Amino acid sequence: MAEESFLTDDFLRQLINVGEVDILVGLPTHNNAKTVGSVVHAIQSGILSGFPRERAVIINADGGSRDGTPDLVTGVSIDDMRPASKLYALRTLHSITTKYGSSPASGVAFRTILAAAELLRAKACVVLSPESANIEPAWLSKLLQPVYRDGFDLVTPMYRRHKFEGLLITNLLYPMTRALYGKRIYEAYAPEFGFSGRLGTQFLGQDVWTDGTDGAGVELRFTLAAITGKFPICQSFLGEKVHVERSSADLVPALRQTVGTLFAALDRDFPVWGAVTGCEPVPSNGTDQEVLLEPLRVNRKRLREMFSSGVAELESVFQSILSPSTLAELQRISRLGEDECRYSAELWVRTIYEFAASYQKSVISRDHIIQALAPLFRGRAFTFLTEHRNASADEVERSIEDLCLEFERLKPYLLEIWKPRE
Amino acid sequence: MRDLIISELTQALHDIARSFAHFLPRFIVMLILAILGWVIAYVVKAVLRSILRLIKFDKLSEKAGASQLLAKAALPSTTEVLSRFVFWVAWLGFILLGVSVLGILGLQDEIARFFLFLPRLFVALFILFVGLLAASFFSRAALLAAVNANMPSPKVLSLAVRSIIIVFVLSVVFEELGLAEQTMLVAFGIAFGALMLGLAIAFGIGGRDLARGFLEKQVVRSKKQENEDELSPL
Amino acid sequence: MPLNPDVLWYKDAIIYQVHVRTFHDSNGDGIGDFQGLEAKLDYLQELGINTIWLMPFFPSPLRDDGYDIADYQNVHPSYGTLEDFRKFLESAHDRGIRIIIELVANHTSDQHPWFQESRSSQDNPRRDWYVWSDTDTRYKDTRIIFLDTEKSNWAWDPVSKSFYWHRFFSHQPDLNYDNPAVREQMWEVMKFWLDMGVDGFRLDAVPYLVEREGTNCENLPETHLVLKELRRKLDENSPGRMLLAEANQWPADLRPYFGDGDEFHMAFHFPLMPRMFMGLKLEDRKPITEILQQTPEIPPICQWSLFLRNHDELTLEMVTDVERDYMYDSYAVSKMMRLNLGIRRRLAPLLDNDRRRIELMNGMLMSLPGTPIIYYGDEIGMGDNINLGDRNGVRTPMQWNGETNAGFSTAPPEHLYAPLIQDPVYGYQAVNVLRQKASEHSLFNWMQRILAVRRSTGAFGRGAIEFLYPANHRILAYVRRLGNETILVVNNLSSSAQAVELNLRGYKGNIPIEMFGRNMFPRVGDLPYLLTMGPYQFYWFRLRRL
Repeated sequence: MAEESFLTDDFLRQLINVGEVDILVGLPTHNNAKTVGSVVHAIQSGILSGFPRERAVIINADGGSRDGTPDLVTGVSIDDMRPASKLYALRTLHSITTKYGSSPASGVAFRTILAAAELLRAKACVVLSPESANIEPAWLSKLLQPVYRDGFDLVTPMYRRHKFEGLLITNLLYPMTRALYGKRIYEAYAPEFGFSGRLGTQFLGQDVWTDGTDGAGVELRFTLAAITGKFPICQSFLGEKVHVERSSADLVPALRQTVGTLFAALDRDFPVWGAVTGCEPVPSNGTDQEVLLEPLRVNRKRLREMFSSGVAELESVFQSILSPSTLAELQRISRLGEDECRYSAELWVRTIYEFAASYQKSVISRDHIIQALAPLFRGRAFTFLTEHRNASADEVERSIEDLCLEFERLKPYLLEIWKPRE
Repeated sequence: MRDLIISELTQALHDIARSFAHFLPRFIVMLILAILGWVIAYVVKAVLRSILRLIKFDKLSEKAGASQLLAKAALPSTTEVLSRFVFWVAWLGFILLGVSVLGILGLQDEIARFFLFLPRLFVALFILFVGLLAASFFSRAALLAAVNANMPSPKVLSLAVRSIIIVFVLSVVFEELGLAEQTMLVAFGIAFGALMLGLAIAFGIGGRDLARGFLEKQVVRSKKQENEDELSPL
Repeated sequence: MPLNPDVLWYKDAIIYQVHVRTFHDSNGDGIGDFQGLEAKLDYLQELGINTIWLMPFFPSPLRDDGYDIADYQNVHPSYGTLEDFRKFLESAHDRGIRIIIELVANHTSDQHPWFQESRSSQDNPRRDWYVWSDTDTRYKDTRIIFLDTEKSNWAWDPVSKSFYWHRFFSHQPDLNYDNPAVREQMWEVMKFWLDMGVDGFRLDAVPYLVEREGTNCENLPETHLVLKELRRKLDENSPGRMLLAEANQWPADLRPYFGDGDEFHMAFHFPLMPRMFMGLKLEDRKPITEILQQTPEIPPICQWSLFLRNHDELTLEMVTDVERDYMYDSYAVSKMMRLNLGIRRRLAPLLDNDRRRIELMNGMLMSLPGTPIIYYGDEIGMGDNINLGDRNGVRTPMQWNGETNAGFSTAPPEHLYAPLIQDPVYGYQAVNVLRQKASEHSLFNWMQRILAVRRSTGAFGRGAIEFLYPANHRILAYVRRLGNETILVVNNLSSSAQAVELNLRGYKGNIPIEMFGRNMFPRVGDLPYLLTMGPYQFYWFRLRRL
């Protein structure tokens, strides 16, 4: 059955004109005019300083911007048609754009970038976020050099974060990926990462594009595919993670992209993670993750309230998902006051594992399972915030390390409640 | 006198014998049909059970919440229930067919009407089943959405959604069965209004991004204080 | 065949650069001479060139391959006599070939009688003919040109106990052009040769004629005045002769050497040459188009001179450091190949003896705006010998056949002025004129054909140029126009096949006729014109509207 190609004729023509490249920079955008200007100039500088002799291209996959974002991106191309540029460059630098749809879909954007990378036979690729206003030209080298010169296939970033930011990563995604897949990757789901053309082509050929969703969270699948495919992975420290304005309503989509993708992947990857024991460190460049400690105003009370009301209201749903003992324990702690309520690491791990198993069995609609996790995450966040209110960077690190070990320790439990395919 | 009685008796016996003889073959046919029907119904039941097992009907009905209902009523699984139901219906059908052969007046009409009624019964049952599924799904979706959006009394909302959908389903079922149409008209009026509400909720769930964006501009300004204290989870 | 009578003959010229010493030896002493060169004029006529640029052949101690002159009005005895030269000149003219000779105006050999007198004492009348100083601190801001051998532009003269100025080797003292006697004498020299019938001069090292304190002593206005004076006298005395400037400068700095058409007729476009090689390696036309965009307009009677290689190193003075490093890493991996900020290799070895690349570079040479120069031996793809020191590796004997001494000389091989190239790839048994003439697909035959096509139209030499900028940056495409003639040139700089869409909207309705095979190509319509090109391929299309 012939599928509609997702690459437009015009884009293909532009790709023909670019020809083979050594470096490809992918930039998915949607109405990022405020921040993308500094990002593309940093990209241009990064290429000219780090890879002056290499053939490079910037591919902008745009999801129907209305604020002129694509023009800002193509504006940094360097060629002989615009000789007025003051920059010195040995080669032409193409910056091309394509509109993949009229609404943002990160999966389609990523697929477009991968397709371009394969057609242009790029050796090393990097995907960057148009929102990282603090990007520096050196980031390009940090994400590309390990692929281009040292033979790695995937480079994930490391950031300087506040100790309370990214709890979904530090309390769920990182420990679970580490425990199950056996690799200590801090940011398995990041807006910027580097990868080799080889890995990109392999992933493009996998059957992950037709599952009906718009592919949100596909970057996580990519990291997992690199792990299961035994591709060499390393991490590079970049800088501070830019804060994007968020509201509490963003939690469910974030859960879908991360936890939803992870759970779905667990099903498919069972032969791999079922056999993994222990975990390996992943080579890192630059300093390790840093933790910022300045006090941050957080509404912990609200978190606890949403947690306990969630546990109460969703009892019928949890009955389908959790084991009776876990549910009972949750109900017990949810009734405790602010000072006593503590969502311990062990309980959290059991919760997650039971959710994963239920997801695999599809006891109820899978999307509902993910949504049901939201109030429980809030409870865990509350506990983490309370326990580490005055903690130092080392204490936070140790605590997360303990959580990781807990995930590892209870892995046999997950294997027990997991239902293997017939 | 004695001869008269004997002849009358003989006549009566003759009549009985004759009507018996008249009746017997049909009775035999009826028995044959009944036995045949039993065999066929058994085969149908077995086939249906296999098919249902294959499509994991149990799982589906678990999601519909039907299994829980049956379990509460101490009934076996839905596959079993449905297979047995079909068995009985099929066998009953054959028996009734046999009975109609007996040629008892009046009964034939009733039997005919029964057979006409059967397909509508099946349709109604199907609608009920699907409706239960939908009610369960949407009520849970509403529950989750309400909890995550921090709306007040999410259980009530969820129950409301479930009730409305069930009422609607029931009204359709009853209409299908042709029972209590007048009552159903009124109930339908109510159900229709409820359907609109259900749709509004479903639309809200589906377009919640848009709705949220819109609401944020209108309502959340006042709630900005709350949101400033939020962390980004990623 | 008569000479082209046009006073702008140099715009239609195809120049062959040769040193008489390297070409052919008639008297068996192992050194080429004028009689030998004369004997080979038929070969050159057959090749299709119409101008010869002779490298210095005046008497000289030969410490800089003849650029250190000891007598301006004679011929070095190894090459023959003045009479030999006169006869050679006549023979060339008979074949319609013009002769350009070198005039090394900036400096002489320290063996020249003028310098011997000048240094003898402070009171000598020729003292002021050179630039003397008691200290070596004057003109501090001046760069050193022969970086690999010289440490300073001043040299100590033990005879007169003072320093003398030399921009090149220390045995080549600079003449003092502030002295009117020097200027007068130089004109006398020129007149001598003009009266003999020479058609033009290549003036060597012109930017450095005059020095002034506080400047970099290059391209000074006073220098231009001197040159304009010489030109004026030339036009008066012998109209229709040509002056060619050797000035290794950025295009903007080269522009003044044309004046208002009252200084030089021609100048070498030095900055373009390395960029052609760079564009080829990068597979990107950007270096080429950018330098040509920066090239200023020149007076209508003036002409650029283009070349791929010459007797010197492939100079990388007029490129940035990044570009120079790139060129070194691409073309001169071995440090031995590098000299004085340049690369001392011949054309064929630079291009890995890749026939397609050689053809492409020649194709560009023949189609970009300017008069092309072919370095002797490059028409058969001769190789080089970098072990011969300085730039002598590219100045080995011409290879005529596979016999002894490659048919260059009957002398014993050890008497040759330089050893022959003998390696299996470029050696004279493999690469020589005789074999190539016999083979239809040889480089020599191909060069003949391209020169014939080039000569068939004046658009290449005299026409305007308009660059097309197709989105595929590996394709260098431009249109040459002269009157009614329009020629489309498309070059694929890439080692792989390419597709390119050209915006030929202004030429809609024209039929492109490929100039080598003379076959028609599809007519230009509304849509972008699609061409598919093989690796390093180029097309020359005559656009015909019928």
